Amino acid sequence: MKSLEFRAMNTSILLAAEGDDEALAGLQVARAFIEVCEKRFSRFLPDSEVTQLNKRSGQWQTVSDDLMDLLTLSLRYFKETGGLFNPSILPDLKRAGYDKSMEIIRVEGPGQDSGKYQGSRSAITDIEFDLSNARVRLPKSMEIDLGGIAKGWIVEKTANLLISYASPCAVSAGGDITFIGNPSSGLKWEVELVDPVNPDQISAIFYVGQCSVVTSSITKRAWRQNGEIRHHLIDPRTGEPAHTDWLSVTVISSQITEAEAFAKALLIGGETEASRLGSNNPELAFITVDRDGRISGSQFGKEYLNNYERILS
Amino acid sequence: MKLFKFSLRLWIMLTSVLSFLMGWIMLAHSPKPIQNSTPSSANIAPLPTLAPLPNLSTGNNQSSWNLFQNSPLSVQPQVQPQIQQPVQPTIQQSSNFAPMPKFQTSGS
Repeated sequence: MKSLEFRAMNTSILLAAEGDDEALAGLQVARAFIEVCEKRFSRFLPDSEVTQLNKRSGQWQTVSDDLMDLLTLSLRYFKETGGLFNPSILPDLKRAGYDKSMEIIRVEGPGQDSGKYQGSRSAITDIEFDLSNARVRLPKSMEIDLGGIAKGWIVEKTANLLISYASPCAVSAGGDITFIGNPSSGLKWEVELVDPVNPDQISAIFYVGQCSVVTSSITKRAWRQNGEIRHHLIDPRTGEPAHTDWLSVTVISSQITEAEAFAKALLIGGETEASRLGSNNPELAFITVDRDGRISGSQFGKEYLNNYERILS
Repeated sequence: MKLFKFSLRLWIMLTSVLSFLMGWIMLAHSPKPIQNSTPSSANIAPLPTLAPLPNLSTGNNQSSWNLFQNSPLSVQPQVQPQIQQPVQPTIQQSSNFAPMPKFQTSGS
């Protein structure tokens, strides 16, 4: 198994593929692809497609097929999660202090709170699509953050690229992972679920085949603003960082963008919304870690943990 | 001097050809090896027999999610002790069998 680790998208990237020279070539191509994608979809880069789209809210803007794909996916998951997954919360995220990349926040501190949530924000369903001319128009003053779903989308596309060089393969970006194929050793892919409170420790280990795994957590991208702990997961119902039942939610799905959207929605919605989302999507496999370190999850999530190793610390 | 060199070359050539021919004749007349398609059982190490794995749910009431969380599985296959020389699988060591990298999921 060949692997390559590097930093991109403000997180650590791990690529792995079986094979010899072709695998090595594939890893380098995959790395270049990720770096190009980052420049297109980051909201922190002034020339990215997303930044340009946000700057021109209220006007028709031609977008690439990939950005159009991301926007239509976002709209779909907004509807499927009852609005809990909502990329149009960027103004609230900035208000909560996340107005620059996390690496800069850790050095310079967060932005200042610029007031309370007004509750008059446009919904993502108000975005107008002109598919035949590849154009979209954001409602005036709307700003979108495709951070999570774009990262998942990039991981999936990268894995599909890497598999053309070497099989099986895996792509991980900060814990958003897509596995294609199974290791030739006959074993499954081993995934360590990091303890959301003590990131040096592992809460559990589970084993998966071809699938995608995404974890959403409120502990990793967190900061203090005016003495109050804030995090990056905005509850669209309040416009404030979500008060959650759990510290992290891990979703296992065949599609990484679905896993990304539902991990966020479940973490924001908590147990109440989980039962509703679960009844609409009974095969949803998710694993939760609460504030006391207890692991729980959906029926399908438990099945992934049936052959797990509980780390007793 | 030229005559000496010519003689030496001729001598080397003739002895080489003669040696080759003698070797050929000897091999052609030597007895053929015994072809035995059914290997003797004495040459094969016995295969290890493993005891059946215990049922994971046996003895543990794992229908409760909390019980499941707090009961780490410790299932060890029981190898029969009389086996002395188990057959070693022949694995082609290549980079494909290098250890798998650790995949961690922690949220972002």
